[in-house]
Amino acid sequence: MTTLTTQTGIATTTAAPARLYGLVAEFENPAQIVAAAEKIRDKGYRYWDCHTPFPVHGLDKAMGIQRTILPVLVFVAGAAGCTTGLGLQLFTNSFNFTIWALVWVTGYPFLISGKPALSIPAFVPVMFELTILFSALSCVGLMFLMNGLPRLHNPLFTCDRFRRASDDRFFISIEARDPRFYRSKTEADLKSCGAAAVEAVVED
Amino acid sequence: MAHDHSNTPDLSAGNLTGSGLGAHARNFGLAAVLLIGIGAWTGFRSGDTEHFARAYVVAMMFALAICLGSMFFVIIQHLTRAGWSVVVRRPAEALMQNLRWMWILFLPIAWMGWTGRLFELFPWADLVEMAKVSPADAAIVKSSLRQDRTGDPAISSANRKLSGPAMILFGFSITFAAVDWMMSLSPVWFSTMFGVYFFAVCATCGYSSMALLCLRLQHNGKLKGIITPEHYQDLGKLLFAFGMVFWAYIAFSQFMLIWYGNLPEETAWYLSRQVGGWRWLSWALLFGHFLIPFVLLISRWPKRWPTTLAIACVWMLVFAFIDLVYLIMPHVPHDVGDFSRYSEFAAAHASDSPHLLDPTLLGLALGMLCLVISMTMRSLKGKSLLASRDPSLGESLAFQNM
Repeated sequence: MTTLTTQTGIATTTAAPARLYGLVAEFENPAQIVAAAEKIRDKGYRYWDCHTPFPVHGLDKAMGIQRTILPVLVFVAGAAGCTTGLGLQLFTNSFNFTIWALVWVTGYPFLISGKPALSIPAFVPVMFELTILFSALSCVGLMFLMNGLPRLHNPLFTCDRFRRASDDRFFISIEARDPRFYRSKTEADLKSCGAAAVEAVVED
Repeated sequence: MAHDHSNTPDLSAGNLTGSGLGAHARNFGLAAVLLIGIGAWTGFRSGDTEHFARAYVVAMMFALAICLGSMFFVIIQHLTRAGWSVVVRRPAEALMQNLRWMWILFLPIAWMGWTGRLFELFPWADLVEMAKVSPADAAIVKSSLRQDRTGDPAISSANRKLSGPAMILFGFSITFAAVDWMMSLSPVWFSTMFGVYFFAVCATCGYSSMALLCLRLQHNGKLKGIITPEHYQDLGKLLFAFGMVFWAYIAFSQFMLIWYGNLPEETAWYLSRQVGGWRWLSWALLFGHFLIPFVLLISRWPKRWPTTLAIACVWMLVFAFIDLVYLIMPHVPHDVGDFSRYSEFAAAHASDSPHLLDPTLLGLALGMLCLVISMTMRSLKGKSLLASRDPSLGESLAFQNM
């Protein structure tokens, strides 16, 4: 196996040879990576990503990334929060029927400052707060889930060259698990996109 | 940035100069004279001075809200050094410039007060209200136009400094205007939220009119490729945030505290808006000013697609007008103490009606709207429609929502 990265020494102390994680290709400016991303997208790769020091306009489109369905899910969660707030108050304060929620519980209509037991204006603040709470929590939670977070380590960090992704270089990484990944062919693909350098990264 | 520069915006004079707007100014001016004439004529014929005066206040506040809302937008853009909004600032400036002549609209009320004919309408305010905001407004617009010629970035910096005090003045003026011209119509009633309520009306009217003006200018073949769906999406967001969510938030806050406190001196104001036809108007506001447009404008594409945005803006202007009718027109009934039960009171007032289609009210309001459009077109005529040498213009042209 060819020399992979400077840090593979630790990995090769074990008996098995280090498994290939994928390839990273370095680009020097945003225009290059956008053009390269379009080519990689058209070649049909699935498990690949772009890494840039700052947001690059038009990169999502060049990569062929679909718009996220997160807003729709958050809307549903918000509506669920609103309904929960309303339902909770209707049950506890407006009616006195009994339901089973782990134990048998009964609503308890109680006269508060002469208002009717079913007073929507008094319920609105709780409905509003639960809408916000449900949507905010589900927004953050689902964002983490959909992004595969929390992920405390990524093999890409073993690559010294890759450190400049947070400074002044632009990278495309293609993972070895991609069905279209063949080491030599993928390397040629990346080079033909104008990569300044292509480097292999191993699992650690 | 690395996005596609193949469609560079057309910055030629033909795309930027407000030529051919003179016909608009004239047509809308004629419509304004006609409609205000109809409103005034039917108002005088009816002989009901108070109704006429209140309808006039609705129309005046409607026109004022459009211009104050635009002024708020311009000041806040300078204050926050916003880059995205440079391409839509000139139309907003044109709308806010109307504040320079709007004090004239107050003269009929001042005259009625002067001649002692205003025994039930209580305009405590005077011309000072309008005069206060005008100098700041004039300075910002003039310097913006001067920058078109000189390209001096120091002008932007000076406007930023000016916009801080201007915002404070704006806050005072809008609160005094709301309290003096609207809240004092029911002199014993009070709400500390009322100034904020009028601000919500201004923001609704301002953002709707700005987006409509930009759409109209583009429809006329101006600013092609300069104002993009990205800018419309942001105007839509602001309309959504201030016109629907913020309005619902403060209007409900005011209502809920008074409903919960249940003090007769406060609830009478709402009582008069819950009987007869006013009951349906209140419900219409809840659905028409908040729930329906909230669902319509919450997602991304309706804000980016001109047709849906235009529909939403016109819708919001209609409901801002209905909101002003709701705030200004009803009387707190004098017989409110004669009933022991709400149902008896409601039955006695079952025939109360908002008379939304009253020719005096509609004629005056539509007439004032046409007047604002006409004067806006006049001030845009022959001028540059783009702050073409603003230091942030490039940022605004390249702006994208992430």
